[in-house]
Amino acid sequence: MPLLEVDRVTMRFGGLLANDAVSFGVEPGQIVGLIGPNGAGKTTLFNCISGFLRPTSGHIRFAGQDVTGWPAERLVHAGLARTFQIVRTFTDMTVRENVMVGAFARTNSTAEARRIADELLAFTGLASRADVLGGNLTVAEKKRVELARALATQPRLLLLDEVMSGLTPAERGQAVDLIRAVRERGIAVVLVEHIMEVVMPVSDWVVVLSSGRKIAEGPPATVARDPDVIAAYLGERYRQRMQEEA
Amino acid sequence: MELTNVLQALVNGLLIGMVYALISVGLTLIFGLMEIVNFAHGDLLMLAMYAAFWASVLVHLDPVFSWPLVVVGLGLLGIVIFHLVIAPILRAPMLAQIFATFGLGLFLRGLAQFLWKADFRTIDHPLLGQVAGGTLQLGSLFIGLPQLAAAVMAALAFGLLWLFINRTRVGLALQAVAEDRATAGLVGIDSRRMFALGWAIGGGCVGLAGAALASFYPVSPTVGVLFGLMSYFVVALGGFGSVPGALLAGLLVGLVQELSPALLGVPPSYKYAVVFGLYLLVVLVRPQGLLGRF
Amino acid sequence: MTAHNRRPLPKRSLVWLSVIVVALAAPLVFRSDTALNIGILLLLYATLAQAWNILGGLAGQISFGNAVFFGIGAYTSTVLLVRAGVSPWLGMLAGAALALVVALLVGFPMFRLGGHYFAIATIALGEIASTIVTNWDAVGGATGIVIPLVRDAQGQPSDSWRMLQFNQSRLPYYYLALVLLALTTLVTALILRSKLGYYLRAIRNDQQAARALGVAVLRYKLAAIALSAIFTAIAGTLYAQYLLYIDPETTMRLDLSVLAALIAILGGVGTVAGPLIGAAVMVPMSELTRAFLGGGGNAIDLLLYGGLIVLISLFEPQGLIGIGRRFRRSPRSQPVAVEPAPVSSSEEAH
Repeated sequence: MPLLEVDRVTMRFGGLLANDAVSFGVEPGQIVGLIGPNGAGKTTLFNCISGFLRPTSGHIRFAGQDVTGWPAERLVHAGLARTFQIVRTFTDMTVRENVMVGAFARTNSTAEARRIADELLAFTGLASRADVLGGNLTVAEKKRVELARALATQPRLLLLDEVMSGLTPAERGQAVDLIRAVRERGIAVVLVEHIMEVVMPVSDWVVVLSSGRKIAEGPPATVARDPDVIAAYLGERYRQRMQEEA
Repeated sequence: MELTNVLQALVNGLLIGMVYALISVGLTLIFGLMEIVNFAHGDLLMLAMYAAFWASVLVHLDPVFSWPLVVVGLGLLGIVIFHLVIAPILRAPMLAQIFATFGLGLFLRGLAQFLWKADFRTIDHPLLGQVAGGTLQLGSLFIGLPQLAAAVMAALAFGLLWLFINRTRVGLALQAVAEDRATAGLVGIDSRRMFALGWAIGGGCVGLAGAALASFYPVSPTVGVLFGLMSYFVVALGGFGSVPGALLAGLLVGLVQELSPALLGVPPSYKYAVVFGLYLLVVLVRPQGLLGRF
Repeated sequence: MTAHNRRPLPKRSLVWLSVIVVALAAPLVFRSDTALNIGILLLLYATLAQAWNILGGLAGQISFGNAVFFGIGAYTSTVLLVRAGVSPWLGMLAGAALALVVALLVGFPMFRLGGHYFAIATIALGEIASTIVTNWDAVGGATGIVIPLVRDAQGQPSDSWRMLQFNQSRLPYYYLALVLLALTTLVTALILRSKLGYYLRAIRNDQQAARALGVAVLRYKLAAIALSAIFTAIAGTLYAQYLLYIDPETTMRLDLSVLAALIAILGGVGTVAGPLIGAAVMVPMSELTRAFLGGGGNAIDLLLYGGLIVLISLFEPQGLIGIGRRFRRSPRSQPVAVEPAPVSSSEEAH
């Protein structure tokens, strides 16, 4: 049974159709990439899945339960966590305190929250920065804090929103390693990205959106060669050229 | 609930509403530009009223003649306040922003009380009070001449402001900054200049309102508190950042204030409470106000 | 608040202990009535500031309406006493309970508003409450209510713990206020160490990010306003019993709400010691200006408060505590970004 089922989710803002009957599934422990050019509706879909928007129509099922329209807080307790594209670290709390906020989703004890936080700080390589204020971190560090924080809520599915943006190539490599390590812990991951080369190496499965609709899905290699996908990113003429050359 | 009472209340409401609108337009402009609520706004009005008062007492200049000076003076004060107090906190946390202007308001109130004592002052023999006994009579309706003049001035000011914002290059630049500061910067518009301009306009409008009010409203160091409160409600009702919203909401608030005793039998001492209650209702049901974008 | 990269303080507990000793001993050292009055007011205002701090400092919800809770406390106990002979102690509990209910009722719709909107809404609420009480004859209207003096067998004003009135020696008021302040401060310190504290601080920093970590934002904001209301209301009852007179002007005015906030901010918003430091600075200053400058003193107060708050907002939003931290950090100590201890490289994930 899929861990997450997105079932014909549609999101309409007045006259604007941001998501048009998008469906896909995520299996436990899978890494799924959600890609598409800018404006494809990835972030909107993301916000629908993570409880920040209520879909106009369609359903979202998590671990078999219909969670459509559940607010974000409730989803976190069910095991669905997310990070933000523009990092939202708590600036006047330390790194450890940031992660403890996440940990409190599973415990009422401050000591226990601290224990969970320290473990995750070690996991994400932030142990040496534990007492630094959130406002004094580099972008890459802030992204790690976001990740550690979300992991502290002990999710079964983690939604990562454009986690690669703003990182140097070296930092991206580290991020990929971290994502793989997250999967090793048995947590499924959905990555939203708009850069193909970043997502392909790490995903088991890729879903492609364009103009609000799903236009392709499958293993990365297949999707990378899909003419519709290429057309969406590079334009119609490139697709025609590719087909002529084939 | 006699008809004459209601009509009189209607007229009074529109007149004072126009003044509320004028006071509030500066507040809404400033918020639209830089997302800062000027908690000292009412106290700027108070300074304007004192300016008009002292002009009449010291140099025998009636508000009818001194208003341009008050407008310019308050406009300049607005710019000074922007550079000294506001510019440093543009990127500060919200607590600092709220309290910077709040503190400024307290300071101005203290200054006024220190310099001029807490007594209520009124202008003896204001010009508008002399003409035709100070009142216009239409049938059984009594329209205070100073109040009418204030409303007319306010309406003219709104007209000019509308023209300025929509028909001049500077005005359009102002709109651009309010809409999207980053992009406006990309096309070469200097945000800080526009912010300062916003404060100048806000100060000027408050100056005009103050000079107009001085003809018929007693001035004291705390006179700005109530007007300030009213202006927040007007801005929230009309929509933070919306100039037409300020006009609409100002009139509405004036009407509610004056009509609630006449139409609803609310005791007059409650008429402000009714406005505050209305504010709460609106802001809970429709936080962005009637015409607001935020 | 977590300490990092500063020269170690003398054991924090030692500092607190000495403060408590000073507070306990002060009225025995300064024996004048004026000093006692300043002391009592200081403690009450500090309590108001500390209570405000829970909502405004910890949770970041700036309220200018806390005077409403103060008034509820004062009026509930006084009305029950004067009209129904209820002991002020029970009245105190009733006032706190009523304030709690009002806080929840009011918070529920209003917490949907953020920042400025919420602040303005609290002003509106305060004004409405003030208007209602001023026009409500059953609770004394604008004239207020006088609490009859407790008298002994000879008809002389006397002391009574049962009626919470001390007319021969006003000392017990001081110690009661001290207990209340200590309680409020203790609760604040406990909150900061607990899940509630972490959640409130998260909400203050970034509400949406907090939601994404499972924080039921509304619930915790309501907890903050509830606690704030309860302590403020109890202070109101104490104040009423001290002055033996209440009216809307003294108990529900906007200035009182603002003062509570100002004191907390001056000392250090969001900290446990901030409101105490702020009160210790502001209240004596205000009373002294009043004593020396008479009526003009009020103007000086406004000038000082206003000016101070502007300066703090511009230069040191952390208040006096923030200024103190800056002095401790320079010139010899390290900048904040340096790690406190070397860490083995195997901990870095690769």
